[in-house]
Amino acid sequence: MSDSILVTSLDEALRWGTGKSLWPFTFGLACCAIEMMSAMGPDYDWARFGSDVFRDSPRHSDLMIVSGTVTKKMAPRIRRLYDQMAFPKFVISMGSCASAGGPYVRGYSVVDGVDQVVPVDVYIYGCPPRPEALIQALKMLQDRIVAGKVRH
Amino acid sequence: MISVESETKLKSGIRVVYVPKENIFQYLKERKEEGFDTLLMITGVDYRDHLEVVYHLLSTRTNERLVVKTKTDGEVDSVTPLWKGANWHERETWDLVGIKFRNHPNLRRILLAEGWVGHPLRKDYPMDKKQYVNLGDDGEDRVSFDNKEGY
Repeated sequence: MSDSILVTSLDEALRWGTGKSLWPFTFGLACCAIEMMSAMGPDYDWARFGSDVFRDSPRHSDLMIVSGTVTKKMAPRIRRLYDQMAFPKFVISMGSCASAGGPYVRGYSVVDGVDQVVPVDVYIYGCPPRPEALIQALKMLQDRIVAGKVRH
Repeated sequence: MISVESETKLKSGIRVVYVPKENIFQYLKERKEEGFDTLLMITGVDYRDHLEVVYHLLSTRTNERLVVKTKTDGEVDSVTPLWKGANWHERETWDLVGIKFRNHPNLRRILLAEGWVGHPLRKDYPMDKKQYVNLGDDGEDRVSFDNKEGY
């Protein structure tokens, strides 16, 4: 019988579905967004990995990719958009700027990392990271969601 | 005809002129009538003892460029009546360098949050005194020196 019927728990099936159907939120803040668009485009085509369309509304999306410098003026807006996203929701911090302020860390107008604003699941280093790095981060996040090791 | 204080020529052939701050509007008006029809940018420089406003002009007919500079004490006439595009350039210069433009239609901050204290590109701007921004219920920015009040 086990050869023909897949036995799983509802929880596992839900986690598998969540991980393989992440809809990212269009959230380009700086030059990292160009790499993010490239990851989405035909060359890298990250729809292959089960993360398909970029949505323009926070209410449609599960994944926020903070791709770029987080300025102090933008930070409260990021928080507001994050709060508008429906559960379950995940955050990828893309690049040096979003992870720790990058080259602007001593500046007057830049937040030292987006983790001061929203909880981050995966950090990517690089300035900017290549699309492969973003795809790896997506895979890491998916594996953790499927394994149930991610906070919401 | 407005006379200039000094005139130099860069290696690239661009003329750089200094104009007294009282005559800057009249001088730029004459240049516009002369053929420098495009205002490329306006910016400000802090030289500690004085502030300078820099205008970059371009003649689209002769492809000639002209840099007009003026030494000010922080206030200068707006050139928005000549070029509409000067509006945001002047707001940015006010925001970051703190140069007031007389007769500007809407001289508010453009990049930093409304309520920010000081002008960051001034040499005497206190870099160790951090400011934090948050969003009020009315959708306006709130600036404070307390890091618990914002990001």
